[in-house]
Amino acid sequence: MKHRTKEAIFGYVFASPVIIIVLLFTIYPIIMVFYYSFTNYNPLETQKFKYPFNPQESIEFHVGMFQDEVRSVDEIKDSFDLFSFVQYDVGLNLNEEQKQAVAEYFEVEKLLEDFVDGKLNKILTTSEFMTTYMAKKKNLFKKYTPQLVGFDNFKRLFKDEYVRISLVNTLLYTAIVVPVQTFLAVLLAVAANLKVKGVKFYKVVFFLPAITSSAAISMIFWLIYSRPGILNRILVALFGGFGFQPVDWLNNPNTALFAIMLMNIWSTAGYFMVTFLAGLQDIPSTLYEAADIDGASGTQKFWKITLPLLRPQILFVIVMGTIGCMQVFDQIYFLINNMRNITISFYIYKNAFEYGNMGYASSLAIILFGIILLITFLQRKYIPEEY
Amino acid sequence: MKKLVLSVLMILLVVSSFSVVTITITGWPGNPAEEAAISEIVQKFNASHQDIQVRWDPIAGDYKQTLMTRLSGGQGPDLFYVDIYVFEELARANVLQQLDLYISRDKFDIDDFYPNLVEAFTFNDRVYGIAKDFSTLALFYNKEIFDKYEVAYPTSNDTWFDLLYKATLLKERGYETPMSLAADFNRLIPVIHSFGGRLVKEDLSTALTEKEAVAALKFYIDLASKYEVALLPTTLGAGWLGDAYAKELTAMVMEGPWALGYIREEFPNVETKTGIVELPGLVEKSSMIYTVAWSMNRQSPHKNEAWEVLKFLVTEGQEIFVQKAGVLGSRQSIASKDTDPMKKVFYDSVAFGYPWRVPTPTGIFAKADDYINSLLNDLFAGRITIEKAVDTIEKNYDVWVKP
Repeated sequence: MKHRTKEAIFGYVFASPVIIIVLLFTIYPIIMVFYYSFTNYNPLETQKFKYPFNPQESIEFHVGMFQDEVRSVDEIKDSFDLFSFVQYDVGLNLNEEQKQAVAEYFEVEKLLEDFVDGKLNKILTTSEFMTTYMAKKKNLFKKYTPQLVGFDNFKRLFKDEYVRISLVNTLLYTAIVVPVQTFLAVLLAVAANLKVKGVKFYKVVFFLPAITSSAAISMIFWLIYSRPGILNRILVALFGGFGFQPVDWLNNPNTALFAIMLMNIWSTAGYFMVTFLAGLQDIPSTLYEAADIDGASGTQKFWKITLPLLRPQILFVIVMGTIGCMQVFDQIYFLINNMRNITISFYIYKNAFEYGNMGYASSLAIILFGIILLITFLQRKYIPEEY
Repeated sequence: MKKLVLSVLMILLVVSSFSVVTITITGWPGNPAEEAAISEIVQKFNASHQDIQVRWDPIAGDYKQTLMTRLSGGQGPDLFYVDIYVFEELARANVLQQLDLYISRDKFDIDDFYPNLVEAFTFNDRVYGIAKDFSTLALFYNKEIFDKYEVAYPTSNDTWFDLLYKATLLKERGYETPMSLAADFNRLIPVIHSFGGRLVKEDLSTALTEKEAVAALKFYIDLASKYEVALLPTTLGAGWLGDAYAKELTAMVMEGPWALGYIREEFPNVETKTGIVELPGLVEKSSMIYTVAWSMNRQSPHKNEAWEVLKFLVTEGQEIFVQKAGVLGSRQSIASKDTDPMKKVFYDSVAFGYPWRVPTPTGIFAKADDYINSLLNDLFAGRITIEKAVDTIEKNYDVWVKP
């Protein structure tokens, strides 16, 4: 074997744990989302052809007689209703195609004869049972395949009021949080880069929110924002004289989203600060020295030197921040209980796990994916990376 | 020879340990008292059965979502909690085993259970779960506040208008927050029923736009907006109704037995001041039933064994649970042994209560519930009118419940 091929093989072998994990847990789900978005996929039905059951017991229950009491097929024929038997006692919800197949090809006579002869007292899976008693079209009853519904899921989201509300909320959220958090992160980085006493302590303080779990942060802010909470007390102490009334920040639909924005800016600014801190190390100190000699003020140096030279980091932070903001979920999940203030990813979750619309949720996820892709593309196009 | 005996014994041991069936039971973890009760039940069962062993495997956090994922992956537990609110969705998806066969085969005494609770877990004339316990709603009132303002206590025979009258008296005599109400649809349901209304018509379309239901909705909202005798718990600075009541921020709330547990635990001095009566009525008496059943997984390979466990859980198990965790027993024979006088009202309310289950074509009411709650929030905040809310329900209900 050639040396190069050998090396390549070794390389892939060493990389295989990561490659396999990414394929299995990232690429495969992404492909499946595209597939599900065109179907009416219902996760609760995926196992329905694997249910084990005892056909004799099910028929006994269905006709209301025990097997040893029944002498001939005629006795039970009338009380046997095929569709309700298959749907409720075998446990298979049928689609239109399957219903038609059952109506045409299911051998009721054979089933009831086997029942009277006592041949059914054994455990079968639902698919074994159906394929035994279907004369034709057995393939319809082998495994669960969601029905293709074409673009129905996508058509539906244009009429859905909450898609509009949640998208508007998400975009508003992104439009406010991203610029503010980026700017704040630059300021924090510049401050943390100063050579003053105890700067390490400040770095830790700024970064701490980024490594705290969002559940814990949410709980703390829930207390801060609640009606008898500290924020209202401070505001009443300051502005009570001007007639300020305590506001229930998180339950008032007009303030809830802004309250979450504030909290998120606070918790992520420190995280992006680290990126800018790294960027600041790359700015040659000679530039500042030259500016000093020319008599530039601190503000001038910040706007004319620091900010322009941080451009690659700014682009990176804006892109990452936008993606994060467009997908904001946990804080909404913990703190928002008004449907007016939900974001799109929370609405996807609701549809997938609470409303039983996995297919629709998948199509929403694709729309969100498309929007993020487009925004990122535009950002890369219109904010040049190099100065 | 000794060696041979030993190895035969070893083989027997191995073989017999393979013949033990493990039944996994799943629910959400409860408070420490409930957890202790359930592990006692499991221990007791395992001690008395050699061939079946039970494993309690609770799901913390998003129970329904986790359960759904496990079921769809074919890894579901054998027995699990089913909240009445998601019961119909699971029953319609055929993931629950119908239990009628086992009930009739073993002559299991299903009639000992409160009929409303059996009915709650019946779908299409088939029983898909057996209630492990239940809760109902009743009216909590603070005797001290009523005494102070010299207003007569609420009684179980009151109508909604008596309630309004007493609340108004409190307000007139200087008590600013007579009652607290939640903007939750399920708290409105007993009002709708007692006004003679219903939730859905025979064809499963909404009946919330019928005049009785609208009158109930109007009354409920008017308590807050027109008569100004009711406030949301969050407005009072409390997390939920029971919290608002326990902190004595309000004189009356409609709550379940869990609020009683909360008061006893956190605000023991409030218990002595507390009176509990049935919810007011009008055309008829009404209450809400919140209940959880033990159901069997249709995929379970060991259904007969699982049924043995299920039987134990709702008979002897329930007895332990009622004693230790203070829940309400779903069996009348166990309920009659419960001597806690404050729980009597909750037991009595089950006779005229309605389970928290709204039939829809898919069995899923979650979406409609979110939308209606959103409307209720808007109504409480005065952002929309009753007419607008009813109109919105009329126009959109079918979309909310369609698959």
